[in-house]
Amino acid sequence: MNYGFVIDARKCIGCHACTVACKSENEVPLGVNRTWVKYVEKGTFPDTRRYFTVLRCNHCAEPPCVDICPVEALQKRPDGIVDFDGRRCIGCKACAQACPYNALYIDPDTHTSAKCNYCAHRKEVGLQPACVTVCPQQAIVSGDLDDPSGKIAALVAGEQTVVRKPEKGTSPKLYYINGDGASLDPLQAPLQEEYHWSAQSRGVGHFAGKGKGAPGIEKPAHAAPKAGPKVRRVYDIPSKGAVWGWEVPAYVTAKAVSSGVFLVFFALLAIFRQQLPASLEWGAWSLSLVFLALTGGFLIKDLDRPDRFSSVMLRPQFGSWLVRGGLTITGYGAFLALWGGAKFLQLPLIETVALWGGALFALVTAIYTAFLFGAAKGRDFWQSPMLLLHMLLNSLLAGGSALLLLGLGTGVSPELSGLLRQMLVVGFGLHIAVMLIELYGKHPSVAAERAAEIIREGSLKNQFWAGSFIAGNLLPLILTITASDPAMLALAALLGLSGVFYTEKVWVQAPQRIPLS
Amino acid sequence: MSYTHKPTVIEAIAEKLHLVPDLHKEGDGRKAMRAAEDGAEISCPPPSQWDNWVEYDSKSWPERKAKEYMLVPTACFNCEAGCGLLAYVDKETMEIRKLMGNPHHPASRGRNCAKGPATLNQIQDTDRVLYPMKRAGKRGDGKWERVSWDSVLDDIAGRMRKAIMEGRNNEISYHVGRPGNDGFMEWILRAWNVDGHNSHTNVCSSGARFGYAIWEGFDRPSPDHANAKFILLVSAHLESGHYFNPHAQRIIEARMKGAKLAVLDPRLSNTASMSDYWMPSYPGSEPAVLLAMAKVIIDEGLYNRDYLENWVNWQAYLQEEYPGTPATFENFIEGLKKEYAHYTPEYASKESGVDAAMIVDVARKIGAAGTQFSTHVWRSASSGNLGGWAVSRTLHFLNVLTGSVGTPGGTSPSAWNKFKPHVHAEPKPQTFWNPLHMPNEYPLAHFEMSFLLPHFLKEGRGKLDVYFTRVFNPVWTYPDGFSWIEALEDESKIGLHAALTPTWSETAYFADYVLPMGHSAERHDIISYETHAGKWIAFRQPVLRTALRRMGKPVRYTWEANPGEVWEEDEFWIELTWRIDPDGSLGIRQYCMSPYRPGEKITIEEYYRYIFEHTAGLPEAAAAEGLTAFDYMQKYGAFEVESNVYNVHEKAVPSADLEGASVDPENGLIVKNGKGVGVEVGGKACSGFPTPSKKQEFWSKTMVEWKWPEYRMPAYIKSHIHQETMNRSNGEFVLVPTFRLPVLIHSRSGNAKWLAEIAHRNPVWINAADAASLGIENGELIRVNTDIGFFVNQAWVTEGIRPGVLACSHHIGRWRRQQDPEANRWAANRVNISKEGKGKWKMRVEENIQPYESSDADSSRIFWSDGGVHQNITFPVHPDPISGMHCWHQKVRIGKAREGDRYGDVFVDTDRSFEIYKEWLAMTRPAPGPNGLRRPLWLNRPFRPDEKTYYIA
Repeated sequence: MNYGFVIDARKCIGCHACTVACKSENEVPLGVNRTWVKYVEKGTFPDTRRYFTVLRCNHCAEPPCVDICPVEALQKRPDGIVDFDGRRCIGCKACAQACPYNALYIDPDTHTSAKCNYCAHRKEVGLQPACVTVCPQQAIVSGDLDDPSGKIAALVAGEQTVVRKPEKGTSPKLYYINGDGASLDPLQAPLQEEYHWSAQSRGVGHFAGKGKGAPGIEKPAHAAPKAGPKVRRVYDIPSKGAVWGWEVPAYVTAKAVSSGVFLVFFALLAIFRQQLPASLEWGAWSLSLVFLALTGGFLIKDLDRPDRFSSVMLRPQFGSWLVRGGLTITGYGAFLALWGGAKFLQLPLIETVALWGGALFALVTAIYTAFLFGAAKGRDFWQSPMLLLHMLLNSLLAGGSALLLLGLGTGVSPELSGLLRQMLVVGFGLHIAVMLIELYGKHPSVAAERAAEIIREGSLKNQFWAGSFIAGNLLPLILTITASDPAMLALAALLGLSGVFYTEKVWVQAPQRIPLS
Repeated sequence: MSYTHKPTVIEAIAEKLHLVPDLHKEGDGRKAMRAAEDGAEISCPPPSQWDNWVEYDSKSWPERKAKEYMLVPTACFNCEAGCGLLAYVDKETMEIRKLMGNPHHPASRGRNCAKGPATLNQIQDTDRVLYPMKRAGKRGDGKWERVSWDSVLDDIAGRMRKAIMEGRNNEISYHVGRPGNDGFMEWILRAWNVDGHNSHTNVCSSGARFGYAIWEGFDRPSPDHANAKFILLVSAHLESGHYFNPHAQRIIEARMKGAKLAVLDPRLSNTASMSDYWMPSYPGSEPAVLLAMAKVIIDEGLYNRDYLENWVNWQAYLQEEYPGTPATFENFIEGLKKEYAHYTPEYASKESGVDAAMIVDVARKIGAAGTQFSTHVWRSASSGNLGGWAVSRTLHFLNVLTGSVGTPGGTSPSAWNKFKPHVHAEPKPQTFWNPLHMPNEYPLAHFEMSFLLPHFLKEGRGKLDVYFTRVFNPVWTYPDGFSWIEALEDESKIGLHAALTPTWSETAYFADYVLPMGHSAERHDIISYETHAGKWIAFRQPVLRTALRRMGKPVRYTWEANPGEVWEEDEFWIELTWRIDPDGSLGIRQYCMSPYRPGEKITIEEYYRYIFEHTAGLPEAAAAEGLTAFDYMQKYGAFEVESNVYNVHEKAVPSADLEGASVDPENGLIVKNGKGVGVEVGGKACSGFPTPSKKQEFWSKTMVEWKWPEYRMPAYIKSHIHQETMNRSNGEFVLVPTFRLPVLIHSRSGNAKWLAEIAHRNPVWINAADAASLGIENGELIRVNTDIGFFVNQAWVTEGIRPGVLACSHHIGRWRRQQDPEANRWAANRVNISKEGKGKWKMRVEENIQPYESSDADSSRIFWSDGGVHQNITFPVHPDPISGMHCWHQKVRIGKAREGDRYGDVFVDTDRSFEIYKEWLAMTRPAPGPNGLRRPLWLNRPFRPDEKTYYIA
């Protein structure tokens, strides 16, 4: 048994019956859709045509939404249906980043993720999905792809079909007959503020009823390609917006401070063999602990179902980097506690074990986000291998800056502050290089390049250049090189910390502004 | 395959310890039913399970929450097609959970467009009218009080009784927007002896109707698309029109079998986009294109000689046009060649802008398709243009030439595929002719000149004492809405206005009574439409009432099962009729007696029971299942009376009619007692077509006799918006305001959130080249000036429209005023309407679409603000002097919006609109025709009155 869909564009008349039948069957709230019809127009009068494309979950054979989900709210069933269980969902919205097809949304009733589930409740009793039943043209075909005697298998075998974004390696099981390339590729016909029958002016899904305006639409940085026919998106559903808001960069930043402080602290002790004043040691320890708590706080704050945060640990899906990250953070926290206890009770052996163990966990804590973002297959920009280095550097910069501030506050030796300054100089320098490579290097996909463009010269350019690059990295670099005045150094450290936040903010935002469908 | 999640050890422990809710415990044990065996999938549970169907709740899934439903069929009431719906009635709450398709409906076959399932929104609309309301202030003031149905019925019945007793029968009018009730209103109005039927036909289909009627007596086409080899549409049937869903299914079915599709439309409709040949003709030029195709078919000998020779009245043509010439078929063809010599593809191309080579190509393909050539025009060009009726006439000409009339894959007359119910008591035709509906100026109109009513009242042609509007919203949908407001506000012209409607509307705001009537799933009705080469009957029924009956808890009246005190029209009319004549002295009450219980008032179930018992084949089909005819229809909701209906014109004349009849040797007409009863073709007495010649009338004596000799044969009439009348440098364009969207239907589809979220704005389409020459950017505000005012809307700059043409869809731009009850807030702007001086009306949007709190959480999630612009109200009336069609297309002048203009602004001068009415009225050639007739006796007229009334006294 291997359920899939065929959508036959030879027959589809773009009537939206599937959209509405699905809304009715599944009680889908206003503004969000499990299935919808996109309209794209091509050509110049009179050689012009409109193309209708039904979009929805592809019930991938390799579904990234299932891989990333921390609580098995998304499940790939043995019969090939990718189903979801709203009762398990914690509203982390990672699935919406993982899915390359814009299939998922936050249900504003339940505040949990949802999508087309093949009308699993109907399949259970031998009924077709509602969209298949309603379709006037029988242009949507459901059934078992593995049953060679069935209609759907015959269509897939006998007709030329295409799938959406095959390069994602998800093996979609929704096959389009006569599928229109320009409609299936979200980037060929950009999003518009107004379509011929509709215009969004408020947020939907995660943003529904929050009094927020429509998500901004990125103005294309490029003129339309000269060759080929004009392509224009003339109808589409409302944009769901960047569902990972300020909480995610805040969590990454807090995590960077917490792990970075301990890593630098560890380096000073274990590598550079520094004698640190007890006040600084306790200070560093406290900072790590406080920011670790903040990390957890921001994580929970980001959830649409914060009441279910414990499910990450209690209904764990160990393949998810959210679970692995959660475990890492927990382990890190445990070592921090152990270090504090050992230090307090003056048990040096345990203190050393805790120092090394803590450092190891702090390292993973600092960098696991790169794997989490990497699992978000919908976001090409996050697929960069440099992300790992980027996360590590941010952690070290945050930790170094925080420790410098702490040191200036508690009065450390010039030798120590000099060491910290040296580390920060190297860190800022490297980080600037990494960012420039990320932004100006060659990208493996158009979507990744577009995200870089948004940061470089698009809607995030001010935040990036002013907040991240100049104020957050270049200025602190110059200050840490040139200034010896503690006030100026403190300023450099503060700027460095805000730089980490701004960098994460634009890094988290930019790819979310690239349409997935 | 059933699948349930298996917990990990950690999760299992956490659930055990109640750290997290237990999602793996056994449910309540109630299991859903299987519609098909494991692995198989079907579209709908079989009818054997409909009384007691248990399925899992989708929202709680994957938790298996079994819910018990009764499945009751009914029929959609959004567009006219009346597709089958299947209501899922929740047995616990006795509410409708959803509406899916009824697989037993022969036209829709279990499938629906978006408007079918969205009916649920209309039923659950939190702003709907639930109780009868009476105005408390002046008419139109917006003040209302709830009253009892009893008081409403007594008040209206008393008034009607007085009017009838005083012989003022013509002051009673029933004006219907969305029709239905086949047979019912004929029965009721005739019982009252009132010529009181007014319709929406003349803003919709009169143009197309007349073009067909003048050919073959029948006034609508019934294409057999499914079996066609070539399909030519002057319409957009893959997204709209009668009958969108059933026709679209069959058009695509034919295409998948290799048929080709050609579409004439100045705008790239979804249909045009799906076509093999898009012919973006300049509006109004369609007959030139169609005649050029006819010329190719004639010149190249691609016509069907047999059909032409036998079934066209060419003898009359030769006799009248070439007296003395031998009446041979060859001479007819020679004549045809001469008639259409100047309709060269090049000429047609010059008129229409369509590529001449494409015209020739399509014509040849049509010729090759032969009898498998289906065509359709409904509104579109035939409703847009002065002389628009020539579109259907020239289109049908192609069917006649190819002999594809009534053939498999061809185009039949509508009546062959439409069932006519027999009611239990048929009162005699009314003895009144209402000139407010059918005035002498329009003897050939198809039919009531409904959109001129405000002007007729203004002119003092009469008054209405009791005016019913039923699911009818002329203030918004019709042209010249402000003239409607003026008429409705004038109590000296309209004594009482009762709006029968499921919902508040722009027209209901100007009523005395607003009487809530049920939606499709809340009332009875029977419907039958010409959707394909068959004949079917569908039963619209109040599904909650039916469910209660089946559950052994029957109610007496539909309103008892409906929400609030929502009645259904049928029971309202019976009750009203009974109260008009409480003692039977007026001879009216007798028609409302039960056919089964002598002397007692008929119940609604008896009314339908009688019809079903007298429907051919239905009692037998029911008996085969051990059911009564009524129970069968309640269960299945539809019945196919006939299938594969073709070539009905060849049906033999009943032998009784042949006795004592004579046959004209020239043309074969069989005449008995001075009336044609059939026609002899190939030695066979055939019933033929309901025309004077009983054949297809290429040459129309009627047109000559009724003073339009120039149109005695199919011809091209230049439209009022012909290119010659346009000065492009002055910003003049033709505005096509009629096109529809697949998810909306006039104002009927209002109150449906799932439709409004897809479509809620209607910018003005303008070709990119035109926009560039006027310096108009996409999205820029423009002022569109009509002959009586203007509206301000955004430009939609597109490649999908012919240069020189603008288009604006008309379902959008609904409104309510500050003082009006809240209604349709998904799609209605709040506007301020002010009058500055006599007849000068201004409308300004004060608040666009906003989220709001209600019992439906979705109302707080409205994500759009744009509610569109009301355009129809800025159009003057344009009655075609022959068909009576309102010619919708407008010559407009556009420019950038002026300072102070705001999106949605409307201005209209109704004095100016009255002048334009007069200008168009002056184009008519009024009755009497021959013998002092008001109208040719042979032409169809709905609610046909007594023949005596046809003669002007």
